[in-house]
Amino acid sequence: KDWRGWNIHVEDYPVSHGMEAFMEEVTEKTGGEIKGKVFHAGVLGSQPDAIEQLRLGIMDFGVFSLGPMGQAVPATNVVSLPFVFKSVPQMYELMDGEPGAALGEALEEKGIVPLGYYDAGARSFYNSVKPINTPEDVQGMKVRVMNNDLFVGMIESMGGNATPMAFAEVYQSIKTGVVDGAENNPPSYESTSHFEVAKYYSLTQHLIIPECLCMSKKTFDGLTPEQQEIVKTAGKNSTDLQRKLWGEREAASMKIIMDGGVEVNEIADKSAFQEAMVPVYEKYLAANPEMTDLVNLFRNAD
Amino acid sequence: MEHAPLWMKHTERALDGLSFLCMLAASIAIVVLIATFGWLVFGRYVLNVTPTWVEQLALLLICYVTYLGAAVGIHENTHLGVTLFRDMMGWRVSNFLKLVIDIVLAGFGLIMLVASIELVKFGWSTMLPMLNIPESFRSLSAAMCGGLVFLFAGLRAVFRIACLLRGIPYHEKGLF
Amino acid sequence: MGLTILLGIFGVSVVIGIPVAFAMGIAALTAFWYEGFPLLITFQRSVSGISVFSLLAIPFFVFAGELMLHGGIAMRLVKFASALVGHVRGGLASVNIFSSMLFGGISGSAVADISALGSILIPVMKERGYHSDYAVNVTVTSSIAGIVIPPSHNMIIFAVAAGGGISISKLFLAGVVPGMLMCLCLAVAAYVIAIKRNYPAEPFPGWRAVGVASLHALPGLVTAVIIVGGVLSGIFTVTESGAFGAIYALLLTYFVYRSLDWNGFKTAVVSAVRTTAMVMVLIGFASSFAYLLALYQVPEKLSSFMLGISEEKIAVLLMINIMLLVLGMIMDMAALILICTPIFLPIVRDLGMDPTQFGIMLLVNLGLGLCTPPVGTCLFVGCAVGRVKIEETLRTIWPFYLAILMALLLVTYVPAVSLFLPSLLE
Ligand code: NA
Ligand code: NA
Repeated sequence: KDWRGWNIHVEDYPVSHGMEAFMEEVTEKTGGEIKGKVFHAGVLGSQPDAIEQLRLGIMDFGVFSLGPMGQAVPATNVVSLPFVFKSVPQMYELMDGEPGAALGEALEEKGIVPLGYYDAGARSFYNSVKPINTPEDVQGMKVRVMNNDLFVGMIESMGGNATPMAFAEVYQSIKTGVVDGAENNPPSYESTSHFEVAKYYSLTQHLIIPECLCMSKKTFDGLTPEQQEIVKTAGKNSTDLQRKLWGEREAASMKIIMDGGVEVNEIADKSAFQEAMVPVYEKYLAANPEMTDLVNLFRNAD
Repeated sequence: MEHAPLWMKHTERALDGLSFLCMLAASIAIVVLIATFGWLVFGRYVLNVTPTWVEQLALLLICYVTYLGAAVGIHENTHLGVTLFRDMMGWRVSNFLKLVIDIVLAGFGLIMLVASIELVKFGWSTMLPMLNIPESFRSLSAAMCGGLVFLFAGLRAVFRIACLLRGIPYHEKGLF
Repeated sequence: MGLTILLGIFGVSVVIGIPVAFAMGIAALTAFWYEGFPLLITFQRSVSGISVFSLLAIPFFVFAGELMLHGGIAMRLVKFASALVGHVRGGLASVNIFSSMLFGGISGSAVADISALGSILIPVMKERGYHSDYAVNVTVTSSIAGIVIPPSHNMIIFAVAAGGGISISKLFLAGVVPGMLMCLCLAVAAYVIAIKRNYPAEPFPGWRAVGVASLHALPGLVTAVIIVGGVLSGIFTVTESGAFGAIYALLLTYFVYRSLDWNGFKTAVVSAVRTTAMVMVLIGFASSFAYLLALYQVPEKLSSFMLGISEEKIAVLLMINIMLLVLGMIMDMAALILICTPIFLPIVRDLGMDPTQFGIMLLVNLGLGLCTPPVGTCLFVGCAVGRVKIEETLRTIWPFYLAILMALLLVTYVPAVSLFLPSLLE
């Protein structure tokens, strides 16, 4: 059978290499019984469409950010809460452990089988005005965020003007002051050239949203038990590979950013930011009381 | 002078009414679209508070403008098409092809209706960002379009056959 | 086999006269059915193809364009152009070309542009002793320049078809020089023929009259300035600029020109719905179609086929241009932008061509297709407005084709023509 894989990133990206490695391993270990092709660069549609196609069995596998996944699988919104993870290593630990398994169940209920959680780094603020050291610095700032109530609430609770905007518009908008800044991980900040126009990168690391290597449950259920084991192992191996590649890519991007004359500031104590997020959590839990246990599972972990 | 049967005239009038309602709804949608975007520009630049729902509402409204307008376009024969080859064929073949087209379009409309209803059901638990209403409201516009195309093209095919059987010409609407 | 079904059904549907948008939908539906996909995927692709943020600019451009037509803005622009360049030999042809430059392309509907400008200009030209075929040829070919000069709604369609990575403000800037170049080439062609046929020049109305006309036209021109300026300065996004332009045109025609009444408003809204729906439903079903092209890996296959013939950039670009010209003869612009961009863009990118330059090349090329039979919407509408047979205009249109081909060659092989202006602002 010929599998179809969906990927939003360009061909030379850690996620893309991870997916190719996954497909190769599956083909090899099934003795060529399962072949497939990864369609990179989002040629087969946007993420929400691809998730729908995966659930329908049209797409066999794909790597999806758990951010927009929240629209289809509300439980995954938990990892879109600001500062829900303390660090990237903690994210690995939790996603590979019991909290990640809880999300996996929610995904499977919607026909999505998670095989591993890829690293998409930590998102931090960048802008063209000043370094951000405290939540007060965000006050009055126009910040582009992704389309999600949580991210809008995150900016608003710091007194900023949250501006959902198409990603392609951001560069020009920062350049001309339509928005003051945006937030993203180092590779995106670098590869989009946003660092050329937004010279302050403040490592708030407020969002650590993993990406998920997923399979269609329809496809997965059609496999023999042996094949399912092969797929699971390949998923795990590709996750390890992607995480390693991501680390390298992130370091390379940070070097380009620094060489580009960006003022990068670390934020040693993030507690002021975390406190500023209390209204976001309160509002979220008030609207989704059934998520309380799940949120605590993540938030209260060491 | 030959006359079209009464039932045909009544049905045509009903279809005109339906088409008018679609156009009315699409017109209101496009006016709301423009007005809310004016509000967005005002909010972002003057009030420094961006109304975050405008974009997503606009993306929803555009679907209704498109699909309702497209259905009206089927009724009024205003879609871009290549009629050159058909027109070269002489009126017999040309009339036959027009009937075939209407039947094909009606079939497509029916499939569009049924498949889009599936899509509506499937999207029920997926929420549109910022609006927090089911995604189904988006695909609903496609379902409506399918149903309308089925009615408009299907009944026109019926009219064509009826006129053919009575040996009278069928007068259709058209831009040119 | 699936690809054969997709293209075959599409071809047959188009030839028998099924509207192009639905022909794409029907072909995609059949191919999905053949592949054993759930049929709802056709409509999922279609709905998501429409729900794209950048595309929201289209209804705004269309509505602004309609208001310009029905609200008297276009008329004032023509008078302005007439006062300014009417005294040149064959002056009304220059007026015609100049008006297209100022006005064309906003509404995104070639039919609307030509029926508006043409119905003002063609009768005047005929009255002054210009032949109908000449009047129609000038009107029709110069309308293409309007597609390339910003604001242009087809540029947005291209940017979306290219996958969203292309800046629309860069495209807008890139179109300026090629558009003017086209106007220049056309003006030369028009001038030469005017001398040959001994067409008259209008008397120069005096600077005072030019002043008055420009004063009347200026507020209308601002509509385009708002849209283009908003995008280029980056103060507004394209969509916001479009919305702002539309609202400005509404206020202007209602309160200042006082040329828009309730009926005019209704007409403008209804026309805007029609054009928007026509274009967007095409875009929607083209997404279903393009999904299958990607699935069948058509871009990769065509790429290796073409590179198998020659790896020379000059030759490949020539091949692409010829293919586009042939396709442009038999199909309409928006559909071709949507289908051809994902296919050809990766190829030219590999050859080191800037995607923005490719966009301009595509628009000029497909624009020419709008003026060529057997499917040339611009030409047909122009002939209808000018009450002249298509065959008649075709006998004398070739110098204008040559003018556009000249511009096309320059755009294709001299990157600076498109890219110099944007590079100034980088
Ligand atoms: Na234009
Ligand atoms: Na043509």
